[in-house]
Amino acid sequence: MAEVKQTKLSARGQWEVFVRLLKYLKPHTVSISIALLLLALTITGSIVSPLLIQSFIDNHLVTLDFGRAGIIRLLVAYVAIQVTVVVISYFQSLRFQKIALKIIQQIRIDAFTKVQGLGMRYFDKTPAGAIVSRVTNDTEAIKEMFVSVVVTFLQAIFGIIGVYIALFSLDARLALYSMVLLPIFLILISVYRHYSADFYQDIRERLSQLNGKISESLSGMGMIQAFRQEKRLADEFESINDGHYRAGVRNIKFDSILLGPFIDLLYAAAVVCTLAYFGFTSLSTAVDVGVIYAFTTLLSRLFQPVQQVMNRMSIFQQALVSASRVFTLIDEPDMEPVQQAERDAKITEGTIIFDGVTFSYDGKTDVLKDISFTANAGETVALVGHTGSGKSSIINLLMRFYEYEHGSISIDGRSLKSYPMEELRDKVGLVLQDPFMFYGDVESNIRLHNESMTSEEVRAASEFVQANKFIEQLEGDYAHKVMERGATLSSGQRQLIAFARTMAVDPKILVLDEATANIDTETEIAIQASLQKMRKGRTTIAIAHRLSTIQDAELILVLHKGEIAERGTHQQLLSMKGLYYKMYQLQNGQTA
Amino acid sequence: MNVLIQLGWFFKQRKKQYTIGVAALVLVSILQLLPPKILGYIVDGITKGTLTGNQLTKWLVILAVAGIAMYGFRNLWRVMIFGSSIVLARTIRKQLFDHFLKMSPAFYQKRRVGNLMAHATNDVSAVQQTAGMGVLTLFDSISTGGFVILTMALTINWKLTLIALIPIPIMIVLTSFYGKLLRRHFRTAQESFSSMNDKTQESISGVKVIKTFGQQKEDIEDFRQLSDEVVEKNMRVARVDALFDPTIGGIFAISSIISFIFGARFIIAGDMSVGDMVAFSTYLGLLTWPMLAFGFLFNIVERGNASYTRIRELLSVDPEVVDVEGAIDERPKGDLAVDIDTFTFPGDPKPALSDVHFTLSQGETLGIVGKTGSGKTAILKLLLREFDDYDGVISYGGHSIHQYKQQRLRESIGYVPQDHFLFSTTLAENIAFTNPMAPSEEIHHAARLAHIHDDIAGFSEGYRTIVGERGVSLSGGQKQRISIARALLMQPELLILDDSLSAVDAKTEEAILRSLKETRSGETTIITSHRLSAIQHAHQIIVMDEGTISESGTHSELMAQNGSYKEMYDLQQLEASVEQGGEA
Repeated sequence: MAEVKQTKLSARGQWEVFVRLLKYLKPHTVSISIALLLLALTITGSIVSPLLIQSFIDNHLVTLDFGRAGIIRLLVAYVAIQVTVVVISYFQSLRFQKIALKIIQQIRIDAFTKVQGLGMRYFDKTPAGAIVSRVTNDTEAIKEMFVSVVVTFLQAIFGIIGVYIALFSLDARLALYSMVLLPIFLILISVYRHYSADFYQDIRERLSQLNGKISESLSGMGMIQAFRQEKRLADEFESINDGHYRAGVRNIKFDSILLGPFIDLLYAAAVVCTLAYFGFTSLSTAVDVGVIYAFTTLLSRLFQPVQQVMNRMSIFQQALVSASRVFTLIDEPDMEPVQQAERDAKITEGTIIFDGVTFSYDGKTDVLKDISFTANAGETVALVGHTGSGKSSIINLLMRFYEYEHGSISIDGRSLKSYPMEELRDKVGLVLQDPFMFYGDVESNIRLHNESMTSEEVRAASEFVQANKFIEQLEGDYAHKVMERGATLSSGQRQLIAFARTMAVDPKILVLDEATANIDTETEIAIQASLQKMRKGRTTIAIAHRLSTIQDAELILVLHKGEIAERGTHQQLLSMKGLYYKMYQLQNGQTA
Repeated sequence: MNVLIQLGWFFKQRKKQYTIGVAALVLVSILQLLPPKILGYIVDGITKGTLTGNQLTKWLVILAVAGIAMYGFRNLWRVMIFGSSIVLARTIRKQLFDHFLKMSPAFYQKRRVGNLMAHATNDVSAVQQTAGMGVLTLFDSISTGGFVILTMALTINWKLTLIALIPIPIMIVLTSFYGKLLRRHFRTAQESFSSMNDKTQESISGVKVIKTFGQQKEDIEDFRQLSDEVVEKNMRVARVDALFDPTIGGIFAISSIISFIFGARFIIAGDMSVGDMVAFSTYLGLLTWPMLAFGFLFNIVERGNASYTRIRELLSVDPEVVDVEGAIDERPKGDLAVDIDTFTFPGDPKPALSDVHFTLSQGETLGIVGKTGSGKTAILKLLLREFDDYDGVISYGGHSIHQYKQQRLRESIGYVPQDHFLFSTTLAENIAFTNPMAPSEEIHHAARLAHIHDDIAGFSEGYRTIVGERGVSLSGGQKQRISIARALLMQPELLILDDSLSAVDAKTEEAILRSLKETRSGETTIITSHRLSAIQHAHQIIVMDEGTISESGTHSELMAQNGSYKEMYDLQQLEASVEQGGEA
């Protein structure tokens, strides 16, 4: 990933991200209230049950008073509470899960929607893998936070409050003493959070290094073996493997000092204190033994949530880092160009005028300088020139992939910016040099998401570009499965499908980026024939590599370093005996 | 349980740690019997009014000591058992990595990198779980469970113990069943996640097409549907996951109720004291974890079993190309004679090569041309001994290449593959791949020969520039030239350029070929190419067609033959001139 990987956040940054995440809870207020109510009920139930047992011990067991009515009342209450707790806790946990999943879905859709609206500039500078990671993996990490962390935290808070209420009802003085546990918990959690953040960070980085090494070595195995570097790679791997191991050991040691065993130790201390308190009190005044039972049981319920919160600390921190990355994407300012759309703007003729257009990708070097030309309705303008001459940039501007600031581009007398985006997309068809295929079948690749298009229209478009011949020979013809990126189709076949895709929407203006890939001669002829047909009756802006294919163009622009070096028809350019003439001579095998 | 036996070698190796760990585990489970017992004594002391200050102090001191001791032992077993489990992970990773290094290309042809990665990550961590969590749950559930039950039965009341335990097996069966269900749902949830991932990947790669056709809204809708599915599949997981806690809680509540009902009877009958009852109920609480662990155990071990089986299968694949006994231990050099009758890639129905015969004298350059799939690369693969199984002989310096040690053979060949691969490290290290200690003059020299030195000097970090995913992105031509520099640095007897000038422009290609000619006059070079300009000055050119040699000779001889070579040449001249015309 080219971007700087953000791995740590300041405390303030963490807090801001956390608050922003919590805002996603808003649409679910009702659902959350219900879930919280259920949570409160289950916790009340689980705290009341030891109190019932306490009353059973003190009022019946110790006094050996087994009056039916009292016992049955207690029993019924206990069973009723248990059944309710079991049922409610199931639905409560389910509801929290559902809320969490829905929130993550929303964040994902927000991120994906955002990505769809970003300008090409963003895609130029960000590797696809990184963007995918934002939308899927990072949001998955946030999900962990909502599913396990938030619920655990809530349970802990509710649980601790509930336990203290019960403790106070049993013995206010001891309950007050045991309040001392709260600051201890807070200190423990914050100390743990402080150190574990670094440790987990370290081990995560080492793990990704380790996996990166394996993955790279597997991909480059041919090279490693051909150059006999097995030993060296094995050594390098071993040192990374060792580093990861050492980090792992350190983590285990750290966790066993502060995590599980320590909580157990604290609990043991709390029990000792409780028993000392009741024991020594009993020497002077009477003590209800049921209260001792209830107290020790309730205390254990105080420690469980703290341990769970600590267990989830690292997930929580990881989630915040991931969330901040997702939010950075959602806040990305590099949007696609905005239209100042006038609703009635329609493309009817297809006359394109570039007037004094100057453009730069990075704001420093101009790749287009003062470009002016007119493409009359139904005519073809061909762009000629070597790589980097600015041909593709003209297309990029016309397609509104990038914003231009100097000069104007108009279609049918209106600024390009005044058309609604839908109108532009409907009337301006682009065929890319490298046709992109989607996973699906041939038909879905021609139709794309356009549900209103009939199968007949798909077939008609294929016939029009003469793609039908090869499609019908495929297994299952139009239902033929297209793998990722069309791996099973030849580049010529992909190109023909892309043609059909464009023809199916029947655009008024055609923009062609001529394919130069290795295509066998037969397909090449088919493609040229299709292109001729497609251009008929449409305004066409075409990038041409072979001059022979654009001889009939009404206007040919020869671009050189972002400027129009020569312009005219084929014949005019030839008679100028300039750059075009030279190129043409060379192409025909004659030396100039 | 099979996996625990198969991992026996490791447990033996870490005998000391496991013994200490398990011993600590057992000690903890004995020590934790104390608090409930003491609680019971104190309760009895209070109810009967027999408690004295001294007695109480004694109990409390014992409790405190037990608490501290347990802290120590809990610490110990974690470090011993979990520590060992990561040693296992490290060991298996190393075994796998070393094994991967030995495997021939045929092995990699059959398997995808992603798949092998899954073995090295998921499977290793499942086995690690078995050796850590698995061992822990096994011993902990047996010892804690066993001791607690024994204490309840022997020191309090065995009848009440039996009665209280009746619901427990139900819990073990249920949680173990949930675990299985959970994994199945989890897999489908994982699948829906990865199809959402694929979708995102595709939408981003195809963003231009989507924008061109104005289909953002539809595409977002498509994504929404997939994300709906992710929610739906994850809810299935949640529906099972949410069952655990209520089930465990419910079953223990049943146990509590029946033990209090029957306990009350025993107290009335005088068989038990109130303190016993309190202790008993606390013991019951201690049983939660070991019982739960028992349910986990099956799932952990089952997963570990499947994973370790896959790892063992992978490790048991033998390398296909091995040195013969008494292989020649010197660097081959001299003339090359290729006599291949037929060669078929493993698993292919059609032979890739048939009747390919030619000889190449030391110091000569051979050009191989032909369409994609005509067999150019196949010849090179055999030369590199990526495949050994063919009819015919390739001899190098008078011996069949099979008779040399693989390492020695490779030492003499500098291979520049079609798909240039750069490692994510500095440019200098990429070029000095065969000799990381190479002095920088040598690296610069190789880079100059490959005409990449000036490009590198233009980067702000120069030779220290990091390439790959995290570094700068290089053009295809730059990558190719770095690959060439890498091969040139080792000054090979035989240099093979497998279509590795395709992304380099005509002028640079010419310059590279010229410097090769000047510096490698005594050494042999093989160049395959689509572009004839790369090979037209070769001493010998063969034209491959459908796996066999269709024409051969020097450039002028082939031009005179007026065959497919001439046809190709004329066509390419035309194309090349367009590019040049633009630059004129």
